[in-house]
Amino acid sequence: MMEKTLTQLLITVLLFFGALFALQQVNWVSLFKVQQITDKTEEKLGDLLWETFKASETENTNPILVKSIDSIVSKISEANDFDKEFFKVHLLNSDEVNAFALPNGHLVIYTGLISDAEHQDELVGVIGHEMAHIQMQHVMKKLVKEIGFSVLISITTGSAGGEIVKQAAKTLSSSAFDRSLEKEADIKAVDYLTNANVNPAPFADFLYRLSLADSQLPSIVSWISTHPDSKERAEYILEYSKDKSTDFKSILSEKTWESMKEKLTF
Amino acid sequence: MIHIKQFSYEPGDHESEKASNSYLMSLIAIIAGLPFPIINLLATLIFYVGNRKSTYFVRWHCTQALVSQVSMLFINSVAFWWTIGIIFGDETLTNNYFGYMITAFIFNFTEFIATIYTAIKARKGIHVEWWLYGPLTNLICKPR
Ligand SMILES: [Zn+2]
Repeated sequence: MMEKTLTQLLITVLLFFGALFALQQVNWVSLFKVQQITDKTEEKLGDLLWETFKASETENTNPILVKSIDSIVSKISEANDFDKEFFKVHLLNSDEVNAFALPNGHLVIYTGLISDAEHQDELVGVIGHEMAHIQMQHVMKKLVKEIGFSVLISITTGSAGGEIVKQAAKTLSSSAFDRSLEKEADIKAVDYLTNANVNPAPFADFLYRLSLADSQLPSIVSWISTHPDSKERAEYILEYSKDKSTDFKSILSEKTWESMKEKLTF
Repeated sequence: MIHIKQFSYEPGDHESEKASNSYLMSLIAIIAGLPFPIINLLATLIFYVGNRKSTYFVRWHCTQALVSQVSMLFINSVAFWWTIGIIFGDETLTNNYFGYMITAFIFNFTEFIATIYTAIKARKGIHVEWWLYGPLTNLICKPR
């Protein structure tokens, strides 16, 4: 009796895992069009969140500024085989030192960040870091974790209130990612920069300077509050970029960078 | 998968009804328990405890219903927490998830059909022993 039970138990367990293994070989994700649905959700969400920033803040459309930032994003995209068209860069007037990524490739940069950067490669570093958050799908991961999948769906279907949309916008612009995601974005940014022949050291300098500014002007420097432990990050960025090539060249000409600085409004 | 066997004695009409009810209970539990698998187990457990002092035929079928629910509890708990992880956590929809859910569905569905069939048979006093759960019940449930 005992033996019969054990034999049948073994067969049943094997049957279960056999069926499980076989069924897991099927590509259900593409069969159920999961990717298309996810992409659609991300698309709607990104556009909706950008709209909320656009409505509450002033967009800077100065051609020199917009064109220069576009060439930075283009250069990084080309050097790393990214779809350049996916990145939608927006420049906002504000004295806040901040930049952040929204779903669907929206990248928001404040004029305060450009004015605070002492070298253009510092700005390129921050842009590279935010592009890494976009490339590595960090933005959606963070939203799902902080806001929840069901709420995100309700935002895209329009059944969520404006308060929830604002909360999602605030989450992305002024709260930190997980440490591990930040480190990944930093390391990726160094790769992106070196692939584009840009020196990553100024990016580390920028973080180091922010860590000093932390105690002095915390109200204006938002990027530091969303990116804590800047000193430690500067160190591992330098460590990681130590044995990369040294034949670096900045993306913009010195003249363009200077005229960018002159055109800044807040 | 399912065998009709001769029980050690001919069950009376009252016994048949009670035995059949344990499967109906189990059936309701499967449906109600889909979102919360622990309900499956609780419902059958309550019914089992209530009929502990009943006749051998009733006890036997309550036990078979109970052990079948226990195994479903494991399968459905994984399905439940995996789904929760996707809705509220940072799990994503993967082929492994879909594969698991479909396997779980097949096993639940098989048990569902077996439960309906056995409930009808037991009501007529016919003794039905399931694959695996039948021998297992024979080990647990002895005549007094
Ligand atoms: Zn970051």
